[in-house]
Amino acid sequence: MAGATQSSFASLHDVELCSFAAAGERLAFGELVRRHGSAIRHLLRRMGAQPAEADDVAQDALLAAFERITEFRGEGTFAGWVKRIAARQYLRRLQREKRLSAFAAEQPETEEGAADGDAEHRIDLDEALKTLSPAERLCVSMCYGAGLSHGEAADALNLPLGTVKSHVKRGLDKLRTRMAPAGGAALEGRRGNV
Amino acid sequence: MSEVDFERRLERLFAEAPEMPDAQAFAERVERRLDRGWTARRWLIGAAGLAGGVIGASQLLMANVFQRAEAAEQSARVIGQGLARVTPTNDMVSALSGGYGLWVAGALAVVTMGFVLSRLIEEF
Repeated sequence: MAGATQSSFASLHDVELCSFAAAGERLAFGELVRRHGSAIRHLLRRMGAQPAEADDVAQDALLAAFERITEFRGEGTFAGWVKRIAARQYLRRLQREKRLSAFAAEQPETEEGAADGDAEHRIDLDEALKTLSPAERLCVSMCYGAGLSHGEAADALNLPLGTVKSHVKRGLDKLRTRMAPAGGAALEGRRGNV
Repeated sequence: MSEVDFERRLERLFAEAPEMPDAQAFAERVERRLDRGWTARRWLIGAAGLAGGVIGASQLLMANVFQRAEAAEQSARVIGQGLARVTPTNDMVSALSGGYGLWVAGALAVVTMGFVLSRLIEEF
């Protein structure tokens, strides 16, 4: 697509944009960033990263994705592929800064069940995630946000598989309690607004 | 809500993150970093090519390539005369291994430079 502009890429599917990006077309990749950048940043914040840190890691992950775009075979979604890269990069950053072990020992910001029974005020995912311990939050976000299997999460976190499964189980139990308060009222349509 | 339903809902909530207000600015920052990387790469490749060219040219001059070419031309002429006794079609061998070969190499170098220039114009 010689002389292509940003608007000419807006109507293309992600897989087509990836093909252009693989041929070195940076504008095509820019369109992918525009489409999925927010989801990647949200995921990193949900994993526990501060906003500025989440943005840094998201940028690095996207640049890494551009470098490795030929490895993307279109088997899953582009967003899912970059989210896995971003999640792994965030973990590497935590390990490099020796924060991962400290992370696992930290307690949740909010007391569990503080808002139980508050059926009138629906709680969004981001608020509910704050009730989890950092380790539970990481494991749940990696498995349900980045789409990693328990085994892949255990490898990335350098933790035993059983430990990861326990974190996920406890995290899910807390989220279920938090997100479906008194009377089992299910929450619908409420999303995070980090 | 069953466990499977809850897990699906959780995946959906994770996937459906709303667009951030500074999404456009974020995308522009990423594009700027991409451009910076490509510019740096182009300069590096250009500098490496220039250095290689200078080294190659200096090596050619230092190796007295023109004197060697003249000597090779004389040798080729002798070989050509020898071959002429065996077969009459030795003109091309003689021509390519002598001074004419240098002109062909020079022409190829000019064509290559043309390709490089057109690529550079396209990039910038």
